[in-house]
Amino acid sequence: MDFFVELFTNPVGFYNQHELLIAQIGINAILAIAIFVTFYSGQLTLANAGFMAIGAYTTVIMSLYLPTPLPLNMLVGALLAGMVSVVVGLPVLRLRGVFLAIATIGFVEALRLGVILNVPITGEGQGLKNPSADPLGGIVPILISLPILAYIVWRLTRTRLGQAWSAIREDELAASSNGINVPLYKMIAFIISAVLAGYAGALETHINFFVDPTEYGITRTIQILTFAVVGGTTNVFGPIVGAVFLTALPEIVRQFAAYRDVVNGIILILVIIFRPQGIVGRGGLAIIRPRWWTRWRARERPATAH
Amino acid sequence: MRSAARGITIALALALAACGGTTSTGGGTASYQGKTIQLGAILSLTGAGGVYGPSSKKGADLAVETINNSGGVNGAKLALDTRDDGSDKAQSAQVAQTLIQQGNLLALLGPTLSNSAVAVHPLAESFKIPILAVSTTGIHIVPDCNFPKTDPCRYVFRDSLGEETAIPTNIKIYAAKAHPKTGVLMVANDDKFSKDGGTIVTKTVDQYGITLLDTIQFSKTTADFATPVTQALSKKPEVIFITSLGGIPAKIMIEARKQGFTGQFLGGNGFNTAVVSKQAGTAGQGAESGSAWYLDNTFPSNAEFVKAYRAKYSSDPDQFAAQGYAAILILADAAKRANLTFSDVAGDRSKLRDAMETVNIQTPLGPFQFTSAHDVKQTVWVILMDGKGGFNLLASVNPS
Amino acid sequence: MTQQVLNAIFIGSIYALFAVGYTLVFGVLDVLNLAHSAVFMLGAVITYSLVALHGMPFLPAAVIAILVCGLLGLLIEFVALRPLRRRNAPPISALISTIGLALIFVAIVEQATPGTLFSWLWQDGANSVRFPAGTVPNPTYHLAGLTIEGTKLGILVTSVVLMLVLGYVIRFTQIGRALRAVAENRRAATLLGINVDRIFASTLFLSSALGGLAGLLFGLAISDIGPYIGRDQVELKGLAVIVLGGMGSIPGAVLGGYLLGLIEVLAFVRFGSNVEAGVAFAALFLVLVLRPQGLFGARLRERL
Repeated sequence: MDFFVELFTNPVGFYNQHELLIAQIGINAILAIAIFVTFYSGQLTLANAGFMAIGAYTTVIMSLYLPTPLPLNMLVGALLAGMVSVVVGLPVLRLRGVFLAIATIGFVEALRLGVILNVPITGEGQGLKNPSADPLGGIVPILISLPILAYIVWRLTRTRLGQAWSAIREDELAASSNGINVPLYKMIAFIISAVLAGYAGALETHINFFVDPTEYGITRTIQILTFAVVGGTTNVFGPIVGAVFLTALPEIVRQFAAYRDVVNGIILILVIIFRPQGIVGRGGLAIIRPRWWTRWRARERPATAH
Repeated sequence: MRSAARGITIALALALAACGGTTSTGGGTASYQGKTIQLGAILSLTGAGGVYGPSSKKGADLAVETINNSGGVNGAKLALDTRDDGSDKAQSAQVAQTLIQQGNLLALLGPTLSNSAVAVHPLAESFKIPILAVSTTGIHIVPDCNFPKTDPCRYVFRDSLGEETAIPTNIKIYAAKAHPKTGVLMVANDDKFSKDGGTIVTKTVDQYGITLLDTIQFSKTTADFATPVTQALSKKPEVIFITSLGGIPAKIMIEARKQGFTGQFLGGNGFNTAVVSKQAGTAGQGAESGSAWYLDNTFPSNAEFVKAYRAKYSSDPDQFAAQGYAAILILADAAKRANLTFSDVAGDRSKLRDAMETVNIQTPLGPFQFTSAHDVKQTVWVILMDGKGGFNLLASVNPS
Repeated sequence: MTQQVLNAIFIGSIYALFAVGYTLVFGVLDVLNLAHSAVFMLGAVITYSLVALHGMPFLPAAVIAILVCGLLGLLIEFVALRPLRRRNAPPISALISTIGLALIFVAIVEQATPGTLFSWLWQDGANSVRFPAGTVPNPTYHLAGLTIEGTKLGILVTSVVLMLVLGYVIRFTQIGRALRAVAENRRAATLLGINVDRIFASTLFLSSALGGLAGLLFGLAISDIGPYIGRDQVELKGLAVIVLGGMGSIPGAVLGGYLLGLIEVLAFVRFGSNVEAGVAFAALFLVLVLRPQGLFGARLRERL
C-alpha cells in the first residue's frame, strides 16, 4: 500500500520514481483503445501484438538506417501496420467469435516466428537496439497522445461510423439488411485498431531501448485482451481503466510478488464471473448488466453453437 | 560459533583485499559507524528468469548477512533491497527507475536477464549510479551498454563471466586435448543469450581447425528434439556445440545419446548449473564447458562460502549464487575504500564507482579484478558433467 | 529421412493426445479451455512428485495423477465454466476465466521450492527435471540405422489404443450418445431428459484426465518436466492441431496431430530449422481462412 501513500503524500517524488511505469501505463492504455475499437464493432480479434511488432520494428529500422526524423518513423510504423491489416483483414474478417480470435493468434505467431526470426534486418532472435531511445523523454509523446486518441475514438463512437459499428455488434444480419456495408465497417475498425497498435509499438521502443521478438507473442496478446475484459468495453474508458489497473498491479501487490500471477488469475476469474461488464460498466460502477451485453450474447450463441 | 568463524574469514579477506589493492583510492580507515550502506537489486524471481534470479538473491543475501555479522563495512551495515522484475524487460526498467529515484541507494545489482540489462543498464548510466551485473553473459553488456554506440559506459560493471571468454576458453582446452576436425552447432534462434553464444562459437572454431558442418537452429519452445538431433547427427560431427538455456541442453544430450552419438558436447553457461547436469544424467557425462565457478574448489574464500551457504539454505550453491555473493563482496570492498560521506548521494555513487575499478579481492570465483572495460578478470574453470548431477574440474585457465 | 518420419509420428501422437482433450471440450461445451495446457503440465508434475518426492512406483503414481487431473477438470467446470453458463455469458468469457486458472496453476508450480507452501508438490521452481533413471525401463533399439525407443513406442501404442477406445465410447455407449446429443443441440438434449450439467462435468473430467495422461507421457519420453511445458510447448501447437482437424472433431484432432508432426518435420528437413516454428501457425491461419471447418471435417455439425 506504500504505493498509494506515496502517490498522495509525495506526488512529485512518486512521478519521478514511477515515470517509466506511468509511460508503460500510457502505452498499454493506447493498446487497450486499439482492442476496444474492434470489440466495439463486434469483432474478437487478437492481432494487436502483431501490429505492435510492425510499428516497433519499422520505427527502429528506420532510425537505424535512414536520416528521417523520429516522429516520421513512428508515423510510418503505424501506417505500415494499417496497411498490413488490410491484407490480413480481407481474408480473416469473414470469421467470427472464437474462430476469428484463433486466426488472428495464428497471424501473430506466424509473423513472429516465421517472419521476424528469418529476416536479417530485424536482428532475428537477437533483437534490435533503438539508437534514438530516450526513456524519460519518451513519456511526453505518450502522455500527449493518450488523451487525444481516447477523445478521437470516443467521438468516433458517436458518429455515423460508431452507430454502424454498434449496429453490427448488436445484430450483424439486421445491420446488413438495413443497408449497412458490414464488411467495410468491420474493415475500418480493424484498420484503425491496427494503426493504434502500431503506434503504441512505435512509442514503446522509444522508452524501452530495444525490440525483440519475444515481446510480441501470445503473452502480450492475452495481456491486451485482459485490459479490455477487466476494464469493460461499454465505452472507451473501460479498457483504459483496465490497462491502468493491471499495469500498476505488480507495484501495488508487491508484497505478494512471488504469487503475482495467482493474484492476476484470481482477479480475471472474479471479474469475468461477478462483473462481466468490467470495472467500468454502462452504469459507471453500479453492478448492473448493460443491455447490449445481453443482446450481444443472444447474437453470439447461435453464431458459435453450430 | 560457526558464523563467528565465517565472519573472521570474511573480515580477513576484506582486509587482505584492502592491502592488496593495486591503486587503492582511499585509505579504508574512515569510520562509517552507525551508518547504513543501501544497495538495490533487480532480479528475475518469477517467470523464465526464475531459474537464475533466486540463486543470485540467496548468494547476495548470504553475503550481506555475513558481512553485517562480522562488523559491517567500516562499521556501517549493508542493506539490500531486492525487487522482482517478473523476467520482463519493461518491468525491469520500471523497477530500476523506482529504486534509483528513491535517492538513497548507492549501487544496484542485476538485472538477471540480458534482455532486461539492455534496458536497465543505459538507465543506470544516465542516472550515474553504479550497476553491477551478476548473471548476464551476453555481448554488448560491458563496456558498450549503449551499443550500437561504442562510447564506454562508466557506471556499468559485471562480475559474471561473459560467454566471449568462457566459450573460446573451453574450445581451446578441448581442441588442445582432442584435436576435433568437425562440429555441428545447435542454437536456439529466439533468445538473445543463445544467439549470442552461437555467434561466438561460429567466430571461434576456425582458429582451432574445426569445421562447422551445419548450424541447426530451433525455437526454445521445441517440444521434442529428435528432429534437430537427427539432422545434426546426419552430418556425422565429432563435436556438438550447444548454446541454449534452461533444460534444452540436457534434452539435446539425452536425445543425441539415444540416437547413438558418441562424440563430445561443448557449451557455455547453459551447461553450468547442477539442475542441467542432473537432468542430463548419464547422457551428459563428460559434457564440457567454461564456468565462472566450481563447487569443490578448496581455496578458503570458496570453501567458506559453500559451507555458509549449505548451513543457511541446506542445499548446494550454484554459479549464480557464487556470483551474487561475490557482487556484495565487491561492493563492500569498494565502499570500504571510497571514503563515503553518507550525505551527498551523487558524490558517494561516483566515489563508489571509482573504487570499484580498483577492486582486487578473493571471492568464491577466485581472485577477482575488473578489466579496464569493467568486465570480469578471473580464472575460468573448465568443468565436465559427472553424470550424477554434479561437475568435475578439468582445468583452470588464468586470465592473460 | 526414415528416422525423421518416425520422429514425426511420435511427436504427432503427443500432439494428438493433447488435442483430443482440448477439442472434446470445444465440441461439447463450445468453449476453448485454455487451462488444458496447465492440466497437461500438472499431469507430468504430479506423477514426478509422487515418484521422485514420495517414492511411489511409476504405475500407481501415473494412475493417481490422471485421476487428480480429472478432478482438476471438475474444478475448471465448477469454478470457471458453470457460473458463466448459468448467466449465458458469451464464449469469450470462458476463454478468460480458463486463462485465469491456467495462470494460477503455473504460478503455483513455478514458485514451489523447498520450504514453501507447495513443496510437497514440486521443489524445482522454474527448472526442468526428468524422472529418476530407471523409473520405467526404456530399451532402445537400433535397427538399420534407425533409433526406436521403448517409451516412445509405448506412447504411440497407448495413444492409438486410447483414441480407439474413446471413439468407441462416443459412438456406441449410452454416455457417448448423451455427449453427442448435448453437443448437437443443448436444448433438445435437455428436453430428452439428459442431465446436461452432468454431461459437461463428465466431459471436463475425461478431457482433463486425457490431458494429464498426455503430460505425464510427454515428461516420460522427452525427459522434460517443469512449469512451462504445457504453456510453451504444446498449447499453441494444440490449437493449430484442432483447427487443422476441424474444431470439435475427435478423429480430426488425431489426424491433425499426426499431420502437424509431419508438416513440422518436413519443413525442418526441407527448409531448415528457422521456418519450422512458424509453420504450425501459417497452417492454422490458412486453414481457418480457406477451410474453417478443418481439413477433414465434412460439416461443423457432425464433428463427434
